[in-house]
Amino acid sequence: MVPAAQNRHLLGLDGVGRQELESLLDQAQVLGPIAAGRAPPLDLATGRIVANLFFEDSTPVRVSFTVAARRLGADSVDQTGSGSSLSKGETLLDTALTVEAMGVAALVVASPCEGTPARIAAAVSCAVINAGDGRHEHPTQGLGDILTLRQRWGDLSGRVIAIVGDIADSRVARSNIHGLTTLGADVMLVGPPSLVPVSLGSIASGPGRVTVVHDLDEVLEKVDAIMMLRAKMEAIAEEDHSAFRLTVARARRLRPEALVMHPGPVNSGVEIDSEVADDSRRSVILRQVANGVAVRMAVLKRSLS
Amino acid sequence: MPAPGCGCERQAKIVGVTEVLIQGGRVLDPASGFDQTADVLIRDSVIARIGRVSPPAEIRRIDAEGCLVAPGLIDLHVHLREPDPQSTETIATGAAAALGGGFATVCCMPNTQPPIDSASAVEYVNRRAALVGAARVFVVGAATLGRRGQQLAPIASMARAGAVAFSDDGACVADARLLSMVLRTVRAAGRCFMQHCQDPSLAGCGQVNAGHMAARLGLPGWPGEAEEIIIDRDIRLNRAIGCRYHVQHLSSGESVSIIRRARSEGQPVTTEVTPHHLLLTEDCCRNYDPQAKVNPPLRTARDIELLKEGVADGTITILASDHAPHPLDRKQLDFADAAFGIVGLECALPLYKAALVDGGVIDWQALLAMLTINPARLVGIDSIGLGSLAVGGPADVTVIDPNLDWTIDPREFSSMGRNCPFAGREVRGRAIATIVGGEVRMLRESERVTA
Repeated sequence: MVPAAQNRHLLGLDGVGRQELESLLDQAQVLGPIAAGRAPPLDLATGRIVANLFFEDSTPVRVSFTVAARRLGADSVDQTGSGSSLSKGETLLDTALTVEAMGVAALVVASPCEGTPARIAAAVSCAVINAGDGRHEHPTQGLGDILTLRQRWGDLSGRVIAIVGDIADSRVARSNIHGLTTLGADVMLVGPPSLVPVSLGSIASGPGRVTVVHDLDEVLEKVDAIMMLRAKMEAIAEEDHSAFRLTVARARRLRPEALVMHPGPVNSGVEIDSEVADDSRRSVILRQVANGVAVRMAVLKRSLS
Repeated sequence: MPAPGCGCERQAKIVGVTEVLIQGGRVLDPASGFDQTADVLIRDSVIARIGRVSPPAEIRRIDAEGCLVAPGLIDLHVHLREPDPQSTETIATGAAAALGGGFATVCCMPNTQPPIDSASAVEYVNRRAALVGAARVFVVGAATLGRRGQQLAPIASMARAGAVAFSDDGACVADARLLSMVLRTVRAAGRCFMQHCQDPSLAGCGQVNAGHMAARLGLPGWPGEAEEIIIDRDIRLNRAIGCRYHVQHLSSGESVSIIRRARSEGQPVTTEVTPHHLLLTEDCCRNYDPQAKVNPPLRTARDIELLKEGVADGTITILASDHAPHPLDRKQLDFADAAFGIVGLECALPLYKAALVDGGVIDWQALLAMLTINPARLVGIDSIGLGSLAVGGPADVTVIDPNLDWTIDPREFSSMGRNCPFAGREVRGRAIATIVGGEVRMLRESERVTA
């Protein structure tokens, strides 16, 4: 369905088929030890340059991409700056075309605006990887989260994952919704009606189902994993906020084997109690970070080959 | 209806003495219901004869065999962007674009820089348009000062200067008390009020239709309800006032039933629809293509269905392009930063045909009524003979080849705007001649003329 040239981009997990998703995850699994520094780096991409075009500041993601590029043997350069294309006075496309003209092999793009990577991909001939665009998608975060679950469970079919918080404004949630449902998992979107509109229930086309639930207590016993999103304090009234916090008491009601996830950085005591986030029997939060490097290596490898 | 000394009269005077014979076309005049194969003889800027004409030896002829011969088309919703220091369009390029699309008359919106909110600004545009001498240009004046929605604009004096209607287009007159003052004043001036229906508290930051695509793309939604609420409220406010009230660029299918009900009660309510709202859906925004970014936003297939029903049953009586040129660098931005708007003058006609005639919604006679006599009546320019074909009336004529196949290529537009999501679309039907006040101001196929 997607032409070969377009295959080198990763603009989102929306529209990425099961086979392709699995091959990226398999690749990331193989690259895991190298990503973690337990095996020597590769020289698959010697002399090739990956440019991190970060129009918004998200240092952990940028560092993760830099580590991933270096472990593949590629060089990485950063162009950072904040603000939208309008306030910059030049178009993001101009910036991307300028950097591409220097001969870089791939552009890793993060932006406060939805769709920036897609617009750049339509204009340049090198590969473009979305490192997070506004409220749209954050596909490498989603892949890392999914890899984490796959390492625990193998097959995701029939598993139930709750994503809790401000779903409407979350790019992490959108990527997870697409990726998880494509692999056959069911997703419950949990949060107050103001932040989890019912229209979100229909955005995915995968075999897994998406349901919208406005009560956290209702889902605790039903899920195989629960992913808490970072809360934006201003978005929810304090009393509503606590209704969607994963407290110690709520965590006790989870199934014994249920996993606790968070894309980071954690607001301890806001969306999740620190005892829960730090509970090594359930929490896979650090695993998500480590897997982030592995999936970014897999994505870059695919784009550079 | 327009006051003496307004631009239209001046435009009529610059026409030279000419004779033109349009031969053998199917002459369609929706105002009178005339529909016959006939010749049209134009002399001294007026229509001299419709019927069989044995041509004098020395006369300019346009061979219209296989073509439709219609009153000069009217588009009552365009943005000519003059005055504007950025000049993303000028009256010259916009009025030339109108001729290219078959439009002999356009009404330009007041969201210029500065806005057209004074009698002198109305006179300025009329004077510029007369000098350009392309399509006729009538001015829609701002309803509030600076289009800021806080204070009445000098509506009466602008009307005297020739403004044919009033609107804050691009912005909704949202304040109910101010709106009722606008409606009273516009009614007293004998004009029409055109509302950009968008509740700013509901859709102020909206980028795309609220629903599936907004959820998927993570963009703020602009729900149809923001349009419906304003229409509903305005009709209620206007009930005791009785101003001619016109809804611009209708986008939501639900709005159709609100307007249908008001019209059946005899309220003076009309509405228009654009080519893009009849043909394109929110799916066009899938890849964040800013060419599909328009206000109000593209909606769903269901909305299109209901809009077409509204056209079929006569609820929607006017077609308008909302021609909105923007420079490339205002469109080559992130979706959220890019300008709203689509250029339409040069491709509107075949798109209307594709949506409505090819789709069996209405026939050519009804389509042309929506492009001629209906808009002429709304803004009162039927009183000077525009929008119809009558012997002794002004010779504004559009000749349309309904079977001409062509591909929309914005690079060939006379408009300075290239922002068109229909680029590359293959269409059938095109204006081949646009005659304004007896002057052939656009002729597409030179081989059709014999001296």
